Amino acid sequence: MNTRSRLATSLHEDTAAVVVGLGVVLLALAVTWLGRPDDDAGSRERYPKGWPTPLATTVAMPEAWGDAPLAAFRDKTGAWAVGPILLGMGWVVVVGACGSALGGRGVRDSLPGLALLAAFACLAYVLASQKVVKHSNLEYPLWALAVGLVVGNAGRVPRWLTPALVGEFFIKTGLVIFGAEVLVSRLLALGLPGLMTAWLVTPVVLVATYLFGVRVLRIPSRALCMTLAADMSVCGVSAAIATGAACRAKKEELSLAIGLSLFFTVIMMVAMPPVIRWMGLDPIVGGAWIGGTIDATGAVVAAGESLGREAGAVAATVKMIQNSMIGLIAFAVAVYWAGWVDRTGAESRGTLAAEAWHRFPRFILGFLVVSLVCSGLHALGPEQALWVDGATSGFTTKVRGWLFCAGFVCLGLQTRVRELAPFLASGRPVVLYLTGQALNLVLTLAVASLTFGWLFRKAVDP
Amino acid sequence: MNGLPLRSRVARLALSAAVTAVVWCGLLPRLLAWPPVASHVTLMEERRVDPAAMYYTELERLPLRPAWIEQEIVLWPRVKK
Repeated sequence: MNTRSRLATSLHEDTAAVVVGLGVVLLALAVTWLGRPDDDAGSRERYPKGWPTPLATTVAMPEAWGDAPLAAFRDKTGAWAVGPILLGMGWVVVVGACGSALGGRGVRDSLPGLALLAAFACLAYVLASQKVVKHSNLEYPLWALAVGLVVGNAGRVPRWLTPALVGEFFIKTGLVIFGAEVLVSRLLALGLPGLMTAWLVTPVVLVATYLFGVRVLRIPSRALCMTLAADMSVCGVSAAIATGAACRAKKEELSLAIGLSLFFTVIMMVAMPPVIRWMGLDPIVGGAWIGGTIDATGAVVAAGESLGREAGAVAATVKMIQNSMIGLIAFAVAVYWAGWVDRTGAESRGTLAAEAWHRFPRFILGFLVVSLVCSGLHALGPEQALWVDGATSGFTTKVRGWLFCAGFVCLGLQTRVRELAPFLASGRPVVLYLTGQALNLVLTLAVASLTFGWLFRKAVDP
Repeated sequence: MNGLPLRSRVARLALSAAVTAVVWCGLLPRLLAWPPVASHVTLMEERRVDPAAMYYTELERLPLRPAWIEQEIVLWPRVKK
């Protein structure tokens, strides 16, 4: 496939991802609005996770289980939840079929493969839901990749499954839907000290880690350096997915970045609370340090809560502030890649802006537009905030979870283990991650101590 | 690797499935019963913490700014005139 036809295919897939993603978000907002409560519609106490949405019954994931895997198919009340889980798998089939239709491929040919893919995604969720695995922060993308890698490398991917292997489409559509959760207004949740802790350090660590990988370690793939840097400095897997898609990282590179992040997250989640106690840090400063450095949100909350309620609350809020900037980071990376990195070797199409626009991944615009619209709605008032929160927590979060999971199964199925070997053999990605994380730890501790511990502390400056 | 005969491929898949079943249905449940792990899991469940959350919207409790933080921290310093 030459460069021109590859670009054309990519553009078409991006447009389809934006159309399907926007459709899901609009459906969620419309149905949640139609089912809005009559009483106390603006009460956060009554609706802590937003308005209940009628769509919540159309999608569910396997629940946590201890020793009986079938318990994964029961909901929190103990009732069987096979129907909603099957419907959740159905969203994978429906979105995949829409992608095939919009992409001009045969829908009927892809249906059996999409059904099997949804079953693999369900298996990955069941593996991730075992309580020891879940509480070790080994998230579902890891198991989705593992299921795909095992099936794809131990056996042979059957020909009838091939039309369903549209992992990038699933991930791009999931990202457009994910935009509804990336609320810029959350940035201000902890005022100036929160902004400084999360956002003075994050860009410095991101850029320094990327440059260290490219210039000092001389890692050949710039996309791997950027994906690792974003993964480590922003918020783990979700940042890796967004920036990896923005800089067109290869599937092996995305898999490696996610694997490294999850491995070191487990270590940091276990090690940081005792280190903080040993150092005698104030719980608020310790919570801010945890929130700014541990990659994954769940691990941040777990580590913070094991230090105490105060540290847990601050850690989760600092992490949420970092989370909120994924959209802008992904947009900036996409602009940088289209304007500068991808220029080399590409045929000239006129001005720099025209060339950059031609190569720009359009789904990032969909992601950003959804994020900005939902941020605007969320900021309008308490009722609108509960409307957006209800639509996302009750529906879109679960749908994009299924899509990401199916996307990672596809990546695993299409990845050959021997192609990962050169990345691992050099050891340089591990050195890059460790160096970047060391810088992140030192800078975040310094800024958290300065802001939460001294500069803005009321005991010091009443 | 995909050039392997059918029997080898089936054997590899069956072995992978067997190892997965042993680990998830045998080893991990035993590990869950080990007191240090069990007490950690119980504490996290009591506090409604989902350590596998990838993004803050997946948490069981949305992280809202706790009221006490405003007694401890100056969130937006006043401009001195």
